[in-house]
Amino acid sequence: MSVAQQSGEEPDDELNSAEAISGPTVLRIFLGGQLRKLREAAGITPDRAGYEIRASRSKISRVEHGRVSFKERDVADLLTLYGVTDEAERRRMLNLAQHANSQGWWSRYDDVMPDWFETYVGLEQATSLIRTYELQFVPGLFQTEDYARAVTVLGHRSASADEVERRVSLRLQRQQVLTRPDATPRVWAVIDESALRRPLGGRDVMRAQLTRLVEVAELPQVTLQVMPFDRGGHSAAGGSFSILRFAEPELPDIVYIEQLTGALYLDRLEEADHYREVMNSLSAEAETPAESARQLKILINEI
Amino acid sequence: MAIEGAATASETAPEPGDAPAFDTSVAHVARVYNYWLGGKDNFAADRAAAQQAMAAFPDIVHSARANRAFLRRAVTYLADTAGIRQFLDIGTGIPSANNTHEVAQSVAPDCRIVYVDNDPVVLAHARALLTSTPEGATDYIDADLRNADEILAKAGETLDFSQPVAIMLMAILQHLSDENHPYEVVSRLMAAVPSGSYLALSHPARDIHAAEMAEMANRLNQMMAEKVTFRSQAEVAPFFAGLELIEPGMKNVPDWRPESDEEASSPAALWAGVARKP
Repeated sequence: MSVAQQSGEEPDDELNSAEAISGPTVLRIFLGGQLRKLREAAGITPDRAGYEIRASRSKISRVEHGRVSFKERDVADLLTLYGVTDEAERRRMLNLAQHANSQGWWSRYDDVMPDWFETYVGLEQATSLIRTYELQFVPGLFQTEDYARAVTVLGHRSASADEVERRVSLRLQRQQVLTRPDATPRVWAVIDESALRRPLGGRDVMRAQLTRLVEVAELPQVTLQVMPFDRGGHSAAGGSFSILRFAEPELPDIVYIEQLTGALYLDRLEEADHYREVMNSLSAEAETPAESARQLKILINEI
Repeated sequence: MAIEGAATASETAPEPGDAPAFDTSVAHVARVYNYWLGGKDNFAADRAAAQQAMAAFPDIVHSARANRAFLRRAVTYLADTAGIRQFLDIGTGIPSANNTHEVAQSVAPDCRIVYVDNDPVVLAHARALLTSTPEGATDYIDADLRNADEILAKAGETLDFSQPVAIMLMAILQHLSDENHPYEVVSRLMAAVPSGSYLALSHPARDIHAAEMAEMANRLNQMMAEKVTFRSQAEVAPFFAGLELIEPGMKNVPDWRPESDEEASSPAALWAGVARKP
């Protein structure tokens, strides 16, 4: 069971689906749930909370169910009403509220980004740790422009040159999370050897991509492990997935599984446990980060 | 690896085809501890065991956190006041806040830290998340505390045993029963390091909150694969044999150089001390 199973239409139709963009995001649902817990813990009725932010009881209900976007001022007022005075905690919540609103930099890519993927990008910007297992492709956050273009063309054969460039540009923008001064999120990736040997875009593109991976692996907030062909058979059975972790102790991990025309977001504890267990096995079975870096350098010469 | 110079050749990869044994259906000490610390790297069996322990000794959560605070203060003292630049941290556990290398390297970026654990998942986390400054080094060893010689041999690839080393045994010796010869293990480790080296140690007490601690040990031993033996002040003291305890000597963790009233007033039940090898 998923907390949110969002499916987009065929990618090309989504370009006209402006309505989907305003749909609820997982992050809003989390934040709303968070605010509800705080309100209940403080023993405050929805009416009283609504009054505080100059709104109705039903507005509070909509906020707490993640159905509407948050005004930062409202969140700040509610936190005060609920007795949350710790500056760090307030900042964290407000920061999340900011990310939960859909007006991030990525909203400029609405035309090429389905709703389900916009949710992911929003979450990606708010996490403290991204663990990802990739079977087919180099993870998007690590892709070179040429490799990203090759992957995009593969997935959107009928797209115009212009649209392809927009999609590639979005992917490159996402990579800014890797060079944030606060070194968050940490990205811990296990990449299957097949993703590293499949020469997408041709040998030169792939060689440049592997060189890029060697560089990325040296970033302080990136850990990269290679899963060689001869390992991981049983753990890998489920295919590619990511686990997003948030610094806030109350927020559960979210498992993200991308499908062709939609994505699954799992946050029920038992489900997250299962994927975390598989991810742990994969990380323990894969080459160590140091050995992975050595193997990447060898692979560059074999391509 | 993540950082130049951060990893060394002694990193041991699992043997090909040799899938490490992770059994999440049985509570595991590192994950139970992670639960008490408020972490998210635990599973149903771990949460159940952790909650059983909390039912027996509600202050275990404070105690576990006070132990982490002791680790931070001890490492700060060792790196700053004692000038130690090499650390051998045995029983790493799942990364948390204020890990040994972070504390040590915030004092002196060139500190070298070797983490030792016998759990493959813990080691995978350590390799991924406990990465060194460019100036210093971190290494990760898959070994069991019962095998001091193996630890020393592998640690020797990163640490220089002709220079002082701080050996850290934070809440780990309780997993060695008396039949595992814990005193010999510690003296073997301390024999390998030169004069001016240190031992930093904490150990769950069986003579603080005695009844609750006994009940907690009982419950944990029913639910965890690794058993625990809590020890009294008189039983922990011999670990420091032949060493000079620095002030204030062996204390319950909150009483060891607390840095705030909050730290000093935390409930806890662990004997702890830092001692210098003369």
